[in-house]
Amino acid sequence: MASTGLSSSAAPSDATSAKAVLVAGLLSYADAETIGAVTTAVRDGLASHFGGVVSRIVLVDSGSADGTAARARDALGSSGGLLELSPARATADMLELPYHGIPGKARALHTILATARDLEAQACVIFDAGVCTITPHWVDWLIRPVIQHTFDFVSPYYHRHPFEGALTKGVVYPLVRALYGARLRQPAGAEFACSRRLIDHFLGEDLWERDGAQVGIDLWLATSAACGDFRLSEAALGVRTQHTRSEKTVDLGTTMTQVVGSLFADLESRAERWQRTRGSVPVQQFGALPAMAPMRGSSVDLERLIESYRLGCRELRDVWTWILPPRTVLDLYKLMDLPLAQFRLDDELWARIVYDFALGYRLRVLARDHLLQSLVPLYLGWLASFILQVRDLGAEAVDQRVEDLAATFEAQKPYLIARWRWPERLRT
Amino acid sequence: MRHGDRWRDPNWYKRAIIYELPVKSFYDANADGIGDFPGLIEKLDYIESLGVTCLWLLPFFPSPLRDDGYDIADYCQIHPSYGTLDDFKRFLDAAHERRLHVVVELVLNHTSEQHPWFQRARRAPKGSIERDYYVWSDIDEKYRAARVIFVDSESSNWTWDPVAQSYYWHRFFHHQPDLNYDNPAVLQELLRILDFWLELGVDGFRLDAVPYLVEREGTSCENMPETHAVLKAIRRHVDERWPHCMLLAEANQWPTVVRAYFGDGDECHMAYHFPLMPRMFMGLHLEDRQPIVDIVQLTPVIPDICQWALFLRNHDELTLEMVTDEERDYMYLAYSADPQARVNLGIRRRLAPLVGNNRRRIELLNSLLFSFPGTPVVYYGDEIGMGDNTYLGDRHGVRTPMQWTSDRNARFSRADPARLYSPVIMDPIYGYQAVNVESQERDGSSLLQWMKNLIGLRRLFPAFGLGSLEFLTPDNQKVLAYVRRHSADTILCVANLSRSVQPVELDLSAFAGLTPVEVLGYTDFPIVGPQPYFLTLGPYGFYWFELQRRPV
Repeated sequence: MASTGLSSSAAPSDATSAKAVLVAGLLSYADAETIGAVTTAVRDGLASHFGGVVSRIVLVDSGSADGTAARARDALGSSGGLLELSPARATADMLELPYHGIPGKARALHTILATARDLEAQACVIFDAGVCTITPHWVDWLIRPVIQHTFDFVSPYYHRHPFEGALTKGVVYPLVRALYGARLRQPAGAEFACSRRLIDHFLGEDLWERDGAQVGIDLWLATSAACGDFRLSEAALGVRTQHTRSEKTVDLGTTMTQVVGSLFADLESRAERWQRTRGSVPVQQFGALPAMAPMRGSSVDLERLIESYRLGCRELRDVWTWILPPRTVLDLYKLMDLPLAQFRLDDELWARIVYDFALGYRLRVLARDHLLQSLVPLYLGWLASFILQVRDLGAEAVDQRVEDLAATFEAQKPYLIARWRWPERLRT
Repeated sequence: MRHGDRWRDPNWYKRAIIYELPVKSFYDANADGIGDFPGLIEKLDYIESLGVTCLWLLPFFPSPLRDDGYDIADYCQIHPSYGTLDDFKRFLDAAHERRLHVVVELVLNHTSEQHPWFQRARRAPKGSIERDYYVWSDIDEKYRAARVIFVDSESSNWTWDPVAQSYYWHRFFHHQPDLNYDNPAVLQELLRILDFWLELGVDGFRLDAVPYLVEREGTSCENMPETHAVLKAIRRHVDERWPHCMLLAEANQWPTVVRAYFGDGDECHMAYHFPLMPRMFMGLHLEDRQPIVDIVQLTPVIPDICQWALFLRNHDELTLEMVTDEERDYMYLAYSADPQARVNLGIRRRLAPLVGNNRRRIELLNSLLFSFPGTPVVYYGDEIGMGDNTYLGDRHGVRTPMQWTSDRNARFSRADPARLYSPVIMDPIYGYQAVNVESQERDGSSLLQWMKNLIGLRRLFPAFGLGSLEFLTPDNQKVLAYVRRHSADTILCVANLSRSVQPVELDLSAFAGLTPVEVLGYTDFPIVGPQPYFLTLGPYGFYWFELQRRPV
């Protein structure tokens, strides 16, 4: 394989030369609190569900100073077998804590996948060592589709409160589905599994050293799988919670810049592919979702969300005219005066807004960070509208509402393609 | 190799969009009136914004500049007017960071008379290796069958050298003695030069004037088998050490002759398609597709890894060597009624003045350039419709400073106007106050914005760079229609070569059931049926359609 400039600092040893059918990779950073339980769950999952095959647990720690690796070793105890590797020491990306908290994540992931390839593993499963809710079943639900059902990529599907993960519901999932044709509902999940064929494909992809890989790598791997000739599936893993790695809170603007920015960057690099994809196909689901009572009522302050939207309309009017066509801007103004109960941001309008922002990002009509930050009030408006529509619904109905939104994104895809191909510069 | 494996596609040149520029003409960073590498670095954002993927730099080596740098005095240095080797390295890194490949010139055929090799050769004993770096004769009668190329300035291919007391051979200007490839040391020298630039990180070479490398008595001294042997040796060397490197042959010959420069895929990766360019202009002026169809049908199949380089205009004259005498007469009348515009066997004009600054014609010609089989080469300034100055002598009139703004010197340089290497274009139609990058970047309907969009479209469809071509034969001769196919993609291109609206009925029965989707606006047209498909095209209009099979 051609060099990517990434390498493991681990010296070749007997440990790495032995073959394994399964590789379970743990990514960690300052996870002393959780990694013991995660390691144990992974070990137990491998033993109870795949006891008959050779498996290895590989840990790539991104420089924890809290004894994370020692906790993992302790958790395995005398059973041992933990293969510890370090990603090549990066520079800037090791200093930057992304919203999901693994510095140098792309390098760490690359190290695990390269190790899985070197071990000639048939499947590789990835876990974030900061996850608090993992059970041994996760190992089964993620790996079995690969080993037993010949799927190439298993994306996680976490059970969430209807109002949680709204950025995924309102932007990431609809966009990934409409553009790449794969109905992966949480395509940027931290846990996933992949086949040997997909490992080779991932390692050959030209994305590991791209700007933003630190943040976007999970999503980019999912879209990479969606764009190739691979079989995709989802594993329902239940509820996921994560321990906090940093005292610093990440504001919505930063999250928007990181998540949506990495998605828009991906669009730019795969335009040739997504413009040829029509429609979408559902993916087969594995695992099981625990029953959760319908969520009635909400602690979300809708007035505050809508006021943020109104403030955006007042303050960002000029900025938006660089990105959005006049019709859209007018439609947004009309929403300002609506009372809370009638506040609705139409799906079609929202889809076009997201598409226009993707186009503005591509054309660099504004500094990209500023452009993405200016999406925040619009997103909050959409979120308020979404919550108003689903707050009295059960989980299934909420899911259906998200599906309807994603279908609208699909229907509006020609709008994006037409403008992408022959952009109309709104202001010059 | 630095920068990984240069983005992994070994056949990158087949999907490239090349932007050709002389460093001296692009941007002057040190206010000495001459463009330079630091200036070029400053303008890389602009080049990136165009969407092109590859830069081809005209010669930038130390040179007396009697042939605008094609008379090289030192192959491994930078002309001091353009900067230093460190400046070049910085430029290369900055270009690669923007994913732009960089192709430089390798003038194989000749050097400047000031090159140390020549100065040494003229003083070396007859028969010595040093002397034999060049082609000498005691008489000027050898190789009489070889034509003189620069008929306006040279009367013979031999020039007497009083120091050597011998004649030396030159196919171009008399101050450009031809290297002697019968001397193996010469090839070794050139390979060392090639390694030098590849080691720095360049991605390919334009091999200048390749048909003339070897001379043999009784022949035209063009396209000799020994010349191909030299090129094959260069290619072997490249493949062994620099597999990403692309070699582009400049061989102004008929396609059937140029075909040999691809070998069996073991000679040059690319070669210019010289005869296509004048025929595109001719077809446009005649309002008849036949000249274009004829030359494409005369073009032989080339090996899979090879590619034609296509262009509308470049730094030289619009060459009319590869047309018939009648066609040349027609072209002179049609495109250079002013004799001042003629030089050698060609027309020294840029694209916009050639077509009367007609925006629709410029767009149509570019649509052909970007949809024909091959890699398009855009000449700097043509993306904004720059003009020329035919009074500057030789071909300098198409190498004037890039027009960035309407400010002094077109903001090309802060030097006093008198100090510029060339006056900027100042006439009322094409002058820098009317035609410049700044105004076109602010004008949403400018030629520059249109070119950016077209380049973006071209990049979306691999079929344009990689696909096959089939012509359709509608009754209306003013309409050129062809299908490009690659993998699952089928693209139908239809162009109206005339100044008036034209109807056309296309036999698309082979595509019955498919939906033509107009590429620019992503608009569905009626599904193709068994009957002729009827279209109407506006003056100089063109359509590109994806032929898509829609799910039932």
